[in-house]
Amino acid sequence: MKNYLNILIVSLFFAVMAFGISSCVSEKQLTEAKSGAQLWAENCVRCHNTPSPTSYSDPQWDVVGLHMRVRANLTDNETKKIIEFLKSANN
Amino acid sequence: MKKIYLLSVMIFSFVAAVNSQSVTNNDYKTLSDNINSITPKNTSFMVRGYSHFGLNINDEQTSFSYGQFSPIFLWKQGSRFIFETELEFEFEDNQLNIGLEYANASYIVSKALVFRAGAFLLPFGTFIERYHPAWINRLSSKPLGFGHDGIGPSSDLGVAVRGAFQVGKSKLAYDLYVVNGPQLKTGLVEPEEAGMLDFSLNTSDNNKNKAVGGRLGFFPLSSSALEVGVSGYFAKPGSETSPFAGDSILGSLNYQDVSVSMYSIDLSFVKNLGSVGLIDIKGQYNYSSLSDANYYNPEEDNIYTFKNKSSAYYAQISYKPISVNNSIIKNLELVGRYSAYNTPEDALWNSKLRQYSIGLNYWLTWRSVIKLSFDNLKNNVSEASGERNEEEEHGPLLGNAFYIHWAIGF
Repeated sequence: MKNYLNILIVSLFFAVMAFGISSCVSEKQLTEAKSGAQLWAENCVRCHNTPSPTSYSDPQWDVVGLHMRVRANLTDNETKKIIEFLKSANN
Repeated sequence: MKKIYLLSVMIFSFVAAVNSQSVTNNDYKTLSDNINSITPKNTSFMVRGYSHFGLNINDEQTSFSYGQFSPIFLWKQGSRFIFETELEFEFEDNQLNIGLEYANASYIVSKALVFRAGAFLLPFGTFIERYHPAWINRLSSKPLGFGHDGIGPSSDLGVAVRGAFQVGKSKLAYDLYVVNGPQLKTGLVEPEEAGMLDFSLNTSDNNKNKAVGGRLGFFPLSSSALEVGVSGYFAKPGSETSPFAGDSILGSLNYQDVSVSMYSIDLSFVKNLGSVGLIDIKGQYNYSSLSDANYYNPEEDNIYTFKNKSSAYYAQISYKPISVNNSIIKNLELVGRYSAYNTPEDALWNSKLRQYSIGLNYWLTWRSVIKLSFDNLKNNVSEASGERNEEEEHGPLLGNAFYIHWAIGF
């Protein structure tokens, strides 16, 4: 019974994955409609307070951005737009 | 004659000054070129991390506590590769303990696929991977069953893939990993812990099996305010040979076929409600089930078994009045949390812990906070209460505890 349950869970996992990957064409359209500032406000606060753009230099934001993409599982477009915003607000 | 002399001096000074400026500019350009030639274009190194310090007051003692100092070293190569490692410096029982929390490399394979290898925090639920650092955790204590001795892994060695992508207006995040896995405590070293799982970071596995797990996170709202996640984790934690091998009676106790299935459901809702303020709701439920096995009790000199099922959960809500036009009040935060931890009824480590926690935080900056918090911990298994208070091994002291902590992320 447990084996069937495990197989069912794994099957569901891959089914949702397949559906998601086939639908990810809309990612660009959706995140392009949002500004980097909006994505920064929506995503950072899910774990911690939104950081001030002046907290780090531009090269440091590149490192922090890549780190957060991996750790917080952000999408590619979210990461790029948030880093762009933080760098532009940093000047 | 004097005028000619004066004019000559002025011309000479002007020529010398221009020449000097030219030399300075040339030197500057040469220096700049030299620096640029040795400055890494694609490599960046950065140290981040967190620390906390505070005063702990409970029914038995009042102690200043040096919580921990945890530097995180990041090394980025190009736009696709990053290495991260976190060390943990903790002063406990009058000695300095240095530990490795994780050390791994990640490579961005494509827009929705990241490959990871090394020791990494496992996404079994969200608390351990995202919310455990002192400057992110809204209270000074962790929920019951969500620490290193709780239900579920913290970090382990192996490989993983993860990614996130839009599905219409919603978003989906996935994780899949293969790691060494936990090791079963057979009771050979500590008989009262027989049947527990040891999730310590092990560089060598105790068997040929690997643990597999994964998580799906679903963001139904386009604002990413709501996330619901489900996780699974499956392993065989027993060693290939009996720990009592050679013993004519106990040698028959073998754990190679013991298996564990673990599940977790997590939820997060974080929303800026305009004039009302910022509300943050988080929760997670962990469930663990090990197959039946026989264990040896040396105190009663008998072999016993039990249904090895455990669970732990917490629900937390915090509120920040960020829209109030007062610089002090807008940085305050109210937190409340309830957590519970149930271990198997017939195990020697049986407990039913319940904890209420409330807290008032003041944010000095976006990453530095002073936390005042209060915990009340009860064990609903009366015969185990005394043991828990004496040992302190599996969790905090029963009763009341008050904390004044300062935490910073850097």
